[in-house]
Amino acid sequence: NLTILKLMDGDGSTTDASQLGITGEYMTGGHFVLQAQDDEGEEGLNDHDDGNGSKDNFREQDIFLPIAKVARIMKNAVPQTGKIAKDAKECVQECVSEFISFITSEARERCHQEKRKTINGEDILFAMSTLGFDMYVEPLKHYLQKFREAMKGEKGISAVTVSEGMGEELADDTFTNQLPAGIITADGQQQNVMVYTTSYQQIPGVQQLQFS
Amino acid sequence: MSDANMEEKVEQATSSKTISLPISRVRLIMKSSPDVSCINQDALFLTTKATELFVQHLALSSFKNGSGKETNTLSYSDLANVAEETETFQFLTDILPKKILAREYLKSLEEMKKEDGNL
Repeated sequence: NLTILKLMDGDGSTTDASQLGITGEYMTGGHFVLQAQDDEGEEGLNDHDDGNGSKDNFREQDIFLPIAKVARIMKNAVPQTGKIAKDAKECVQECVSEFISFITSEARERCHQEKRKTINGEDILFAMSTLGFDMYVEPLKHYLQKFREAMKGEKGISAVTVSEGMGEELADDTFTNQLPAGIITADGQQQNVMVYTTSYQQIPGVQQLQFS
Repeated sequence: MSDANMEEKVEQATSSKTISLPISRVRLIMKSSPDVSCINQDALFLTTKATELFVQHLALSSFKNGSGKETNTLSYSDLANVAEETETFQFLTDILPKKILAREYLKSLEEMKKEDGNL
């Protein structure tokens, strides 16, 4: 029965339980995090570094969204008179990163199973559904539609629909109309290639491309 | 299209008063997952938007579920409780361990030692 004990000191740093000479047999069952003091949420805990810039050892699991933005969304969600403890804000910050990773790895699974390399919108929506967040799917589809409409207005570029299963790399001169929207590649560079989508809409006058 | 550009489009599209989360940071988190190479724009947008919904959902559920006392404050333990009790949020239980005060723990430690001594 694995027990994780983290002692939280006044300054927010954590101490290994082993440093207190606490051995395995005294650990209680279940997960516990110890607080060195009564935590009203205002003192003792460092804010997570928003920019992650001042952390010396930058771990993947330490990437968070800015706490102010997260806190604002929380504040807007609860009744107007409600308050939010500081450690609750930091905690949700961590939960958010966990959520993103959770969705991403599920989406990546599906992508991989279908032998594709690029995670697309459908993968994300599917992951939501699979992982118990299907209540988000309809609102998300709605937002996505608005988003795509907003994107369409960009420099008068029309969206081209392609069917699934196409190869990832396409030559720039393959199509007459190109969407300059970038694909984010592993090395962080954006390349002007086609945005791959499942067919949401058809644009008259633009040639339909079929890939078997 | 740059992230800033895209964020602008997101705000236009959703035209909501909700805060738009930084897309570049969302992408960074997504890419920290193993074997993730390419993420298309739709996926990035959907994830960012879903994250917003998630925060709202988590905050509200925890707040409602919480203490019921007149503190009117969303606390860490409200979150820990909701993670344990709600199936949707169970993936969070590892990062939301319940907290006990050190003195309470040390007290129970003492008591266990005494019990051992009596055996």
